[in-house]
Amino acid sequence: MRDFLKKMNFVSISALVLAMMISSFSLWSLRKSAFYKPSFLVNTINETSFDYIILGASTGLTTLNTKTIDSVLGTEGLNLSMDDTGLSSQYLMLQHFLNQGKTTKYCILAPSANAYDHSTNDVSDNDYRFLPFISETYVYDYYKAFSSKQSKVLKYSRWLPMLGVSYYNAELFYPSMITVIKNKKRNRFDDKGNYTYPNLKNSRVVINEPSNLNVSFKNKYVAKIKDLCASNNIELICYFSPVASKSISVNTSLYSIINHSDLIKDEQLFYDDIHVNSNGRQLCSLKFSEVFAKRINKIKNE
Amino acid sequence: MLFNSLDFAIFLPIVFFVYWAVLNRKLTLQNLFLLTASYVFYGWWDYRFLSLIVLSTLVDFFVGRQLSVATNRAARRFLLIFSLSFNLGLLGFFKYYNFFVDSWIEAWRNLGVEMHASTLSIILPVGISFYTFQTLSYSIDVYRKKIEPTSNIIEFAAFVSFFPQLVAGPIERASHLLPQFSKQREFSSKFAMSGIYLIIWGLFKKVVIADNCAFFVDQIFSNPSAFDSLELFLGAVLFAFQIYGDFSGYSDIAIGVARLFGFSLMVNFSFPYFSRNIAEFWRRWHISLSTWFRDYLYIPLGGSKVGKYTVVRNVLIVFLISGFWHGANWTFIFWGFLHGLFFLPLLLTSTNRNYLSHTRLKSNHILKIVFTFVMVTLAWIFFRADSIAIAFQYITDVFSFNGMSLSCFSKTSKALLFSIIITVSIIVLLGYEFLAVQRDQKEVKLDRFNAVFIILLIVFMGVFKNPSDFIYFQF
Repeated sequence: MRDFLKKMNFVSISALVLAMMISSFSLWSLRKSAFYKPSFLVNTINETSFDYIILGASTGLTTLNTKTIDSVLGTEGLNLSMDDTGLSSQYLMLQHFLNQGKTTKYCILAPSANAYDHSTNDVSDNDYRFLPFISETYVYDYYKAFSSKQSKVLKYSRWLPMLGVSYYNAELFYPSMITVIKNKKRNRFDDKGNYTYPNLKNSRVVINEPSNLNVSFKNKYVAKIKDLCASNNIELICYFSPVASKSISVNTSLYSIINHSDLIKDEQLFYDDIHVNSNGRQLCSLKFSEVFAKRINKIKNE
Repeated sequence: MLFNSLDFAIFLPIVFFVYWAVLNRKLTLQNLFLLTASYVFYGWWDYRFLSLIVLSTLVDFFVGRQLSVATNRAARRFLLIFSLSFNLGLLGFFKYYNFFVDSWIEAWRNLGVEMHASTLSIILPVGISFYTFQTLSYSIDVYRKKIEPTSNIIEFAAFVSFFPQLVAGPIERASHLLPQFSKQREFSSKFAMSGIYLIIWGLFKKVVIADNCAFFVDQIFSNPSAFDSLELFLGAVLFAFQIYGDFSGYSDIAIGVARLFGFSLMVNFSFPYFSRNIAEFWRRWHISLSTWFRDYLYIPLGGSKVGKYTVVRNVLIVFLISGFWHGANWTFIFWGFLHGLFFLPLLLTSTNRNYLSHTRLKSNHILKIVFTFVMVTLAWIFFRADSIAIAFQYITDVFSFNGMSLSCFSKTSKALLFSIIITVSIIVLLGYEFLAVQRDQKEVKLDRFNAVFIILLIVFMGVFKNPSDFIYFQF
């Protein structure tokens, strides 16, 4: 038995040590890269003071182009949206942003409309992108707040990085190999964090008589984001991006709202039911600039 | 409980520790403990179906006991028929009832007669095809007086439900496995370590090869018309590796786990994709099932010691039933039939026994290996497709040479990544297996350095987020 345990120890300890070394290197390489938004924010954004940032899911990522808005308003904006994320992730991103010593006057919150009312019970699909920053307390605490298998894998990666890197090997390990060679490579977003869906020749979308969706901000993370903004003198604006065949009604005095959910009536400007394409994005960004300019001026005048 | 689950990763060391550290040299207690562990292992999936295993165990134990005292030939025959009827009845009800009802209705519909009969919502108990065949072999061997019936119910129950091979084989013979429960087991470091290496190798096959291949296979087989000829062909090739990695991976883990407890299970796969003809393929693929059919079906039918026409009939019967064993669907039956057809030319030209003894692979074997692999791969299409018609359309589309792109394997960065992982892992698999074949080994033998290397491949190339169930669980 002793001989068996000796050999077992050799195999398991060697494999563990090597796997841990490779995983740690993998996370380190991602942390030093621009591949995912959390690292991009830390490593390639030198500005510390912004006029606004956009936090959101794929809707925020693909609807508002900060370059267009900035060219119209002469502002400095940054898009920190990540696809397949919920309000909890946006809260984490805001913490991450502030933790870098950066500030912003406005925070444009642009998740999918449903996210405002769905309670958040689990980490979002793309929350592994924060794993390179697991040593930060706010990231660890975020993973710890949930009890799913994924959140446990992410949480315990603080001590056993191979857990997360192995579980998300396609999403973390292989991209980290790319970042070893191309440190500046970004994962499908431009130097201001924007991404766009292409204009397709034939629209996939048919706009029907809109059904109504009433948003009442039940998700506790909206309030948490608002509180965090308030404590850092940031004005929070909840933005609703265009949705085909859906009319979103919002009745609240608690939040500042820009509701562009029914802005687009032309099917050719949609990529799919909840995302605009490149032309749609241009229109949305210009329209947003108009409304946003009024808000800024109004607040300035006040 | 799945071998590639966290539950099992906790379960196995606990059972191992108690078995050797607490119960060492206490044979009865060790057997009782293994029996309990096996029932926990099985009950983890669905404890209600434990009753089937217990019932099957009691019936065959009882039949064995009665066979040992019955001298009357008619009584012995009755007992055997009772055991066969019970086990096959159990299998027939749970696995084939709906198939027979549907086929019956469909047959009448084809004759223009509308019939109505209700099918039942039956859950297929995991492993039923495996353990019923295992208990059947016991009753038949006792009937044939090839083995002595056991009088120890604990040993017998542990033999029937031995957890490493309970749900997906290898289908052990009582003559091989049962005596191991009666013998005092000594811990052998070398034997246990070989088990660990086999577990690692099996996990590699399952988690890296099979589960990565599933990424493309599921896409392609769910909508074959969306893919061109080359993509369809490669889809079939990937399924060939998926099912091999999945099933032989399970067998390797099962054999490895059994070794940790001092048991030797039979080899179930012996590098089948290095076969030089279909006959050799069937001597290397799912050996425990093919030899089961040989001993309990082919030979009783007359085997090869009858006229050529009867031999052909016997071979086709065995292949058809072997196909049907895999699942209650015409696709499996046709798959078996197809292999029977592939086998017949070898039988008729008396070349089916070529390569019986080990012969090193030579360069002039490459074409034969590739040809055999392509035939096996084409047959797999029937195994995987939802219907025979879809499978025929799939093969027609492959040979229409309509488009030779590889776009589905490279159109997104994720697809490209999976393509690279699969290519690398198949090269590693075939490389290790080739060396084992050339060294006349029955299994891939890792040393500790290779084991560490394979573990790293598992960690960084395996599928953990969306793992697939073992395919053979459904059989």
